[in-house]
Amino acid sequence: MPDCTTNCVNEDILTMTIERYAAPQSLDEALGILQQGEVTILAGGTDLMPQTKAGRIAFKPTLMNIGRVAGLKGVSLDGAYLRIGALTTISELLRDPLVVQHAPVLAEACDQFASDQIRNAGTLGGNINNASPAGDTLVPLIVLDAEVELASKPNGSVTTRRLPLAEFFTGPGRTKRAANELLTAVRVPLPQPGHVARFYKFGTRPALDISTISIGIAGIKRDGALTDIRVAFGAVAPTPVRAPRTEAALEGRPLDAEAIAAAADTARDEVSPIDDVRATAWYRKELIHNMTRRMLDHVAKA
Amino acid sequence: MNVAEKPVIAAASLIGQRIQKKDAPEKAAGKTRYIQDMVVPGMLHAKILRSSRVHAKIKSIDTSAAKALPGVHVVLTAADVPDQQPIGVARDHLPLKGERVRSLRDEIAAVAADSDEIAEAALKLIRVEYEDLPVIATPEDAIKPGAPLIHPAPLDAHGRPQSLPPKTPIAFAGKADNIAMRFDYTHGDIAQAEAESDVVVEDSFQLHYVTHCCMGVSGVIAEFDASGNLLMYSNTQVPFLHKREFAEYLNIDPSRVRIIQPPIGGGFGSKLDIYPFEVICIFLARAAKRPVKMVFTREEEFLASPTRQPVLLTLRSGCRKDGTLTFRQVHTLHDNGAYTSWGATTPFVMMQTFSSLYRVPACDYHTTVVYTNNPYAGSFRGYGNLQATFAIEQHMDMLAEKIGMDPLDFRMKNAQDVGEVTGQGMEFKSCGFKECLTTAAERSDYRKKHADNIANRNARGPVKRGIGIASMLHVGGGAKIYPSDGCGTILKLDDFANVTLITGASEIGQGSETVLSQLVCEELGLPISAVTVVNNDTAITPWDVGVHASRTTFIAGNSAIGAARKAKAKILAAAAKKHGCGEAALDLRGGFVVVAETGEPVVELARLMRNLHFSDKAELVMTTFYYEPPSVHQDKAFKGDVSAAYAWAAQVVEVEVDTETGIVKMTKVTGTHDVGRVLNRLGLEGQIEGGVVMGQGYALTENLIVENGVTRNPNFRDYKLVTAPEIPEMDITFVESMDGEGPQGAKGVGEAPAICIAAAAANAIHNATGVRIFGLPFTPEAVYRALRGKSDKPHWPAWKPE
Ligand SMILES: Cc1cc2nc3c(=O)[nH]c(=O)nc-3n(C[C@H](O)[C@H](O)[C@H](O)COP(=O)(O)OP(=O)(O)OC[C@H]3O[C@@H](n4cnc5c(N)ncnc54)[C@H](O)[C@@H]3O)c2cc1C
Repeated sequence: MPDCTTNCVNEDILTMTIERYAAPQSLDEALGILQQGEVTILAGGTDLMPQTKAGRIAFKPTLMNIGRVAGLKGVSLDGAYLRIGALTTISELLRDPLVVQHAPVLAEACDQFASDQIRNAGTLGGNINNASPAGDTLVPLIVLDAEVELASKPNGSVTTRRLPLAEFFTGPGRTKRAANELLTAVRVPLPQPGHVARFYKFGTRPALDISTISIGIAGIKRDGALTDIRVAFGAVAPTPVRAPRTEAALEGRPLDAEAIAAAADTARDEVSPIDDVRATAWYRKELIHNMTRRMLDHVAKA
Repeated sequence: MNVAEKPVIAAASLIGQRIQKKDAPEKAAGKTRYIQDMVVPGMLHAKILRSSRVHAKIKSIDTSAAKALPGVHVVLTAADVPDQQPIGVARDHLPLKGERVRSLRDEIAAVAADSDEIAEAALKLIRVEYEDLPVIATPEDAIKPGAPLIHPAPLDAHGRPQSLPPKTPIAFAGKADNIAMRFDYTHGDIAQAEAESDVVVEDSFQLHYVTHCCMGVSGVIAEFDASGNLLMYSNTQVPFLHKREFAEYLNIDPSRVRIIQPPIGGGFGSKLDIYPFEVICIFLARAAKRPVKMVFTREEEFLASPTRQPVLLTLRSGCRKDGTLTFRQVHTLHDNGAYTSWGATTPFVMMQTFSSLYRVPACDYHTTVVYTNNPYAGSFRGYGNLQATFAIEQHMDMLAEKIGMDPLDFRMKNAQDVGEVTGQGMEFKSCGFKECLTTAAERSDYRKKHADNIANRNARGPVKRGIGIASMLHVGGGAKIYPSDGCGTILKLDDFANVTLITGASEIGQGSETVLSQLVCEELGLPISAVTVVNNDTAITPWDVGVHASRTTFIAGNSAIGAARKAKAKILAAAAKKHGCGEAALDLRGGFVVVAETGEPVVELARLMRNLHFSDKAELVMTTFYYEPPSVHQDKAFKGDVSAAYAWAAQVVEVEVDTETGIVKMTKVTGTHDVGRVLNRLGLEGQIEGGVVMGQGYALTENLIVENGVTRNPNFRDYKLVTAPEIPEMDITFVESMDGEGPQGAKGVGEAPAICIAAAAANAIHNATGVRIFGLPFTPEAVYRALRGKSDKPHWPAWKPE
C-alpha cells in the first residue's frame, strides 16, 4: 500500500495536521483504514481543499485518498437500476450514454455544474457527501428516487446498506453516513414509461456559480396529468428538500394553468430560505414560485 | 544579400495592421515569470497581520510568541518603526497602525520568516487587544453633525489637542471633520440657465464598490545592498513616482532607489499608488538585512487592494423644448474609506464629463469626499467616468423622453464638435463624436429597435428586449497632473540593424511594447521582430510619469517616434554622404536604405551600420528624445486644456430582461470609438473587448459587498466576474479623426471602452421594461425588485459643506 507519513513541525501552530496519507487500492483496504477511525476521505478534493484551507473543516490525522480504489468508478446497469460509482466525475456523468439515456436530468444538472476543470476532478460521491444544500446533483437524484450505497467493515467483513438519498442529509455538511462507512455508489431506478424529469438551477451567471435556488420536478405524465410526482428544492433549507405539499397539489391533476398556478403558490409557501450574500429569502421564494411555474408550463407543453 | 539582387522595395505601412503582442507567446505558453515566480537568493517571506476590528483603539500588541517561533526573522509593529511617514495623496495613512485601526484591512504587524507558512503561523501568535469605537459605515453618516471622527486630533497628556506645527500631515495632526477633500467647479449662470429651461429633471444615483481583480495579485520584493541602496521588484504602474516617494519615506536620496518591474499581471489603475504593504516590506528588508518578498493571497487582494470609488450623486439637468441643453448641477458624496488614495481625486475626471461631454452653457459641480470605516478607494480604469457617465447618460434619455425627442437626435443636437472650447477650457482639436453616435446607431439599428422594443413591452412572454445608447469623453492625449506629463526614449541600433527601444513607459498588459515597436519600425522601415524593448528598470529607462490616463500610446508613442526620427535622420545623412546622393531623396524600407521615389535599394541598413561602426570615425546610432505634450495644468478653478487630445465613443448595448428572474442578459454591444487612428488593430480590438467586459461586470455582476465595514465576499465564488458564456456579441468600429498631435494621428483608448456600458445598459433596461434603475449593479435580484416596485430609489438631497 503506498503510504507515507509526514511528521509536521509544531503541528498545533502550523496549519498542517495530517499525520498519515493513505491511498488504498481496494475497497477492503479502504474500509479497513476507515474502521481504524479519525480519517478524512479525499476524492476529487474540490470541496475538501478549499474548505480546509478556509478553516471551515479540519483534517483528521489520516487523509485517505480513495482515487485509486478499484470498482468505485463508472456507470452500469444493475437489473432495474442504474448504478453510478461514487468516484464517477461530473464530466463523466455529463457524457455517459447510460446516464444520458436513463437519467438525462442528471446530465442536465452536470451541464450547469462549475467549470470543466472542476467537473474533471469533482466526483458524484464528493458532491453527495459534501452535503451542501446547493449541491447540484442532489436535487435531480432525489426526484429520481436515488439511493445511496454505504459500505463498511465493522467486524472483519464488508457489509453494505442502502438509504434513500432524500433521507440521507441531516444538515449542511452532515449526513447519516457513519464514520466507518464509505459511499460506494448511487442507484437510480430505471424510468417508467411516460417519465419526465426537469432540473432548473438559478445562479447569477450561467457558468461557475453556486445555486441560489434549484428545482427538480419528476413524475409520470399521462393524459396531461402528472402522477408519482417528486418535487425537490435546493438551497432553500439546510439540506436539499422534498416538497410534499407541492407534490400533493399536483398529484394526478391535469396540468392546466390553474393547477400550475396553485402548485407554484404552494411551492413558495412551502420553502423557508434564508438571506445570505447570494440572495434574500424573499427573492428565493419568488424564484421558487416563478420557476416552478415556468418548469411546469414546459412540462405541460412538452 | 547583395543590393544589386534586391528588387525595388515598395513603400509599406505597419499602421492599422493586426500585430501580435510581443509578449503573447510567452504568456500563452505559461513561461512569463511574474513576481510570484521570482526567487531571490536568501529571501524571506512576509505576511501582514490585519485588523480584526473595523474601528477600534489598539490597547496592546504582543508579538513575543511570534518572535519566538523558529524560522521567524523579524516581527514589526508601529513601535518598531518610529520613523515611518504617512503615505497617500493626503498624507493621512501610516503603513503600520499603532494606536488606532480605521478599517478591517488595517496593517498592525508584519512578519518576515523562512517560509510563507511560518510567517502565517507567526501571525496567529500575535495578540492584539482592541477597544471598539463606533463604526461609520456610510458617507451619509460621516457628515452627520456630531459624527465620530475617523482621524481625530491626538490629545496631549491633559486631554487637550496637541499643538503641532502647521502643515503637519493628517496622519499625525488629525482632521477636525470627516471631510477628506472637496471639489467645486462652475461655469455659466446656473440660475439663469434654469430659468430658461422648459424641462428639469433631478435624480440621485448610487454607484457601488467594485475592485480590479487583476490576475496578478499585488506583490513586491525589497532588498538593500551593503551600501544601503534599495532595490525593489515591484508591480507598480508608476516606477518613477514611486522611486521618489520611497526615497522620501526612507529619508534617502532618490538615486539610491532602483525599481525593477517583472511582467505585471494586470494593473487597471490598482498599482498607481503607494500602499502600506510596500513600505512594510521595505521595513522588513531593512530590519532583516535580507531580501523580503511579500505577495498577497487572493482574499487579501480583495480585502486590502483599492476599490473603485463608490459614489452617491444627485444630478439636476435641464433643457429647452427644442432639445438644447441648458444646465447641469451635480452634487456628489464620495466614500473615501478610511484613508485617501487616488479614488478621492476622481472628480477631476467626473467634472469633465459633466461640463464638456455635451455643450452645456452652465455647469455647477460639487464633490465632497468623506472618510468612513470602509475599504479605501483607488484609481480604476475610467477614473470616475463610469460613475459620471452612468448619471448623465440616463438623464439624456430622460430629458429626451420628456420633450418627446428621439434620444439619438437629442444627443446629436448637443454633441461636441471639432474646434469647440468648453466651459472648462478643454479644446477639441480632433473630435469624431457625432460620427461615433451615428455609426454605432446605424450599425445596431438603434432607432428602429428602440421604437419596436417600446411597442413590445406589453407583449406576452417573460423576456423583454431593450436597446440603450451612451457616449463618453475621456482624456486621450495624457493628462497634465504632475509637473511633467512626459516620457523619455533611448533608441539604439546595433551592427545588425536591430533596435533596442528603451522607454520609460511600463508594460502592464496593455500592449505598449508592441505599439511602440510598431511606431519605431514605421519610421525605420524594419520588421517588428527587429525591436527589443527595455522598459522595466528605473536605472536604465528614462523618466515617465506612469501608466495612467490612457496616455502611453500617445505620450510614449510620440517619444518613441521622436527618437526614431532622429535615428532616421542620422542614418539617411550617413547614407547620403557615403553614396553621394541627397538625403531628402532617401528613405528606409524593408531593412534597406532606398531611393524614396523608386524604391531602389541603396545599401542594406545592417551593412551601413557596420560601416559606420567599424570605420576610422567610428560612430553608433543612438538617440534620445523626451516628449512633453502641449497641454496645460488646470487652474485653481479646475479650468484648462489638460490633455493634448480627447477620445470619444458611443456604445449601444442590447439586453434581454427576464422579468420572472430579473436576469439581464447582455446580448450585443455595438461600439464606435474615435481613436484618432488605428495603430495596432489587433491590440486595439483586444483593449476594447476587455474594456467592454469590464464595463459589463460593473453593470451587471460585480459587487464588492461591504456591510458595516466588513467585506462579505472576498473571493471569486461570491464576487462575480463575468465568465466567457456571458460575453456579448461585439461589433466594434473606429472613427479615425487623425489627431494632429497624436502619434500617427492616434489618441489614447485604454480606459474608454469600459465607461459607457453601465449607462447604456441602464437605458436598455428602461427601453425593455419601462423601469429605470438608478443604482448599480443590475444583479438579478436588484432588477427583479425594481420591476416589482420593491427597490428604494436612491435619495440624497444635494448637500455641500458650508
Ligand atoms: C470553483 C468551484 C465551483 C464549484 N461549483 C459547483 C457547482 O456548480 N455545483 C456543485 O454542486 N458543486 C460545485 N462545487 C463543489 C464541488 O466541486 C462538488 O461538490 C464536487 O462534486 C465535490 O467532489 P470531490 O470529489 O471534489 O469531493 P471532495 O472535495 O474530495 O470531498 C467532498 C466531501 O465528501 C467526502 N467524500 C468524498 N467522497 C466520499 C465517499 N465516496 N464516501 C464518503 N465520503 C466522501 C470528503 O471527505 C469531503 O468531506 C464547486 C467547487 C469549486 C471549487
